[in-house]
Amino acid sequence: MCGLAGLLYKQERGEGALGAPILTMLDVLGSRGVDGTGVALYGPASRDRMVARVRLGGSDDRRAQADRVVQRAAAIGRVASADVQDDYLRLEMSSNRDAAELAAAIEGPDLGVLVFSLGQRMEIVKQVGPARMLRERYGLDCFRGTHGIGHTRLATESRVDVAHCHPFWARPFPDIAVVHNGQLTNYHKMRRRFEMRGVRFYTENDSEFIAIYLAHKLAAGVSLEDAMKDSLEELDGTFTYLVSTPEGIGLARDAFATKPMVIAETDQWVALASEEVALRRAIREPFDTEEPSARTIRVWRHPGVAAALTPVGAGV
Amino acid sequence: MTTRDCAGLTTREINVIVRELAATGETELCLRNPEARHNLLVGLFAHLRVRLEGSAGYFCAGMIDGPEVVIDGNVGWSVAENMMSGRVTVAGNAGSSTGATIRGGTLIVHGNAGARTGIAMKGGTIVVGGNTGYMTGFMMQRGDMIICGDAGEALGDSMYTGRIFVGGKIAELGNDAVIEPLTDDDQAFLSVTLQKAGLDNGRDFKKVVSGRRLWNFSKKEMGLWIQAL
Repeated sequence: MCGLAGLLYKQERGEGALGAPILTMLDVLGSRGVDGTGVALYGPASRDRMVARVRLGGSDDRRAQADRVVQRAAAIGRVASADVQDDYLRLEMSSNRDAAELAAAIEGPDLGVLVFSLGQRMEIVKQVGPARMLRERYGLDCFRGTHGIGHTRLATESRVDVAHCHPFWARPFPDIAVVHNGQLTNYHKMRRRFEMRGVRFYTENDSEFIAIYLAHKLAAGVSLEDAMKDSLEELDGTFTYLVSTPEGIGLARDAFATKPMVIAETDQWVALASEEVALRRAIREPFDTEEPSARTIRVWRHPGVAAALTPVGAGV
Repeated sequence: MTTRDCAGLTTREINVIVRELAATGETELCLRNPEARHNLLVGLFAHLRVRLEGSAGYFCAGMIDGPEVVIDGNVGWSVAENMMSGRVTVAGNAGSSTGATIRGGTLIVHGNAGARTGIAMKGGTIVVGGNTGYMTGFMMQRGDMIICGDAGEALGDSMYTGRIFVGGKIAELGNDAVIEPLTDDDQAFLSVTLQKAGLDNGRDFKKVVSGRRLWNFSKKEMGLWIQAL
C-alpha cells in the first residue's frame, strides 16, 4: 500500500501553506499504512544558507547531542541557528564545503545522529507512526513554501525504523528527495551496480535507490523528464513515485499501473495523492481530478525559484 | 426525494442511512458532500435511485443488485465491482479496475477509465465515453464493453467470450484478442446502448473478440502459450 502526497504552487512568488495540507492528506492516507510518516518541504530560498534536518537518537541526552553537532558544524562553517524540537535538530548554516562533507561532519562519530536532509530549501521530517504524531511534535502546520511531497508507509521489504521511512534524501545531492509506493524487484542488482562505482547507500530501502538513481542522472546533466523515462525501463517491479527537486515535482507510474495516483490541477496549484479522498479533505475548493495512465511521466515546475538558485557542490 | 448531507459522517453511517431509507420505501435519494469516501453504497440491493453530488472513492456501488446510482464527479478504483444488476453512471473519470468482475447491469463512465477496466467481467455492459487504460477487458468472460475513445495496451488479453467495441485507436491488442467485422446485431446494440447512455454514436467502431486459440491447450501451439503466459 503506502500513500503518496504532493503539492506545488504554480504562481511566481507563489508560496503558500504546505505543511497543513500535506499532513492532512497523509492523515487521510493513513488507512494505507502508518508504519511511518514523512514530508519533504521546500521553504524560501537563500543563496548562502544551507538548512539541515538532523535526527538525534540513541541513549544520549538530546541537548548534549545537539551541542556536539553544533560544535562540529561550527568547525567547518558559520552556524546561523540551531533549534531542537523533540528528536530533531534544525540547523541553518553557511559553509564552503559540499553537501557530502557537511553531512558527514555533522554526523561525526555520534551513532544516533542522522542527517535526513541537507540543502538550500528542502527540509525532511519523518517519524515512525501516523501523521498526527508528526504534526503534534514538529509544528509543521505553519510551514510555508513553494512545494513539497509526503508519504505514509506500509513497510513491506525493509524494517520499521525512522531511517527507513520516506521521503528519502538523495544523499549527497542537495534538495532532492523521493517518496515511493511499490517494490523494486531488481533493487539488489541495481544497488550492487551502483556500489561497485563507489556510491554509498544509507538504508536497505529500495525507495532510497530511486532517489540516488535519479540524482546521479540529474548530476550528469540529464533532464528530470529523461531521468524518469529511463527509470521506467531500468527499474523493475511496481512503482508510483514522486521526486522533488528545487524546481518542482515529478511523477512516474510504471507500466502495470498497479499503484494508484490522482492528480488535481488548477491554474494556481497542482495537488497529488494516492486517493482522491485525501485531496478532498485537504483542499476545500472545487477542482477536478484525473488518474494518470500507465507509463505516465509528468513534471510540474515552480516558475519562480529554479533560476534563482545555483547548484551547491555535490561531490560523490 | 430525500437529501442527506454526508459531511462529518463515516462511510458506515452513510451506508446505514441509505439502507434505512430504502427500507422505508424511499425511491429517490440525494447525498451531498461524499468527498471521495471509499465503499459508498456497497452491497445495496434495494431498487432506488441514489445521486452522489460529488466524487466517490474506491469500490463505490460495489456488489449492488438493483439500484440506479449516479455519481456527479469522479470515482476511484473498482466502481461497481461485481455488480449483479442495476445501473451506475459516472459523470467524470473512473480509476483502475472499473467494473471489475461485473455479472450484470450497466456501468456508464462519461470520462476516461483507468487500467484493467472490465477485468474478468462475467456479464453486463460497460460504456466508457473517453479512453481506457492498460489491460482493459483482461480475462473477460462474458458481457459487452463499448469504448468511445482510445484503448490502452493489451486490450482484451486472454478474453474468453464477450465483445469489446472501440471507437478510437487501439494501442495494442492483448494475447488472443482479434478484430472481426461488426454484424447488424452489433450495430443495433451500439446504437441503442449509446443512445441510452447519452453518448454520440458517430464513430466507426471496431469489434474485438476472443480468437479462441487459448481455449484449449495444444502442444502444437506452445509458442502461443509461452507468449500468453
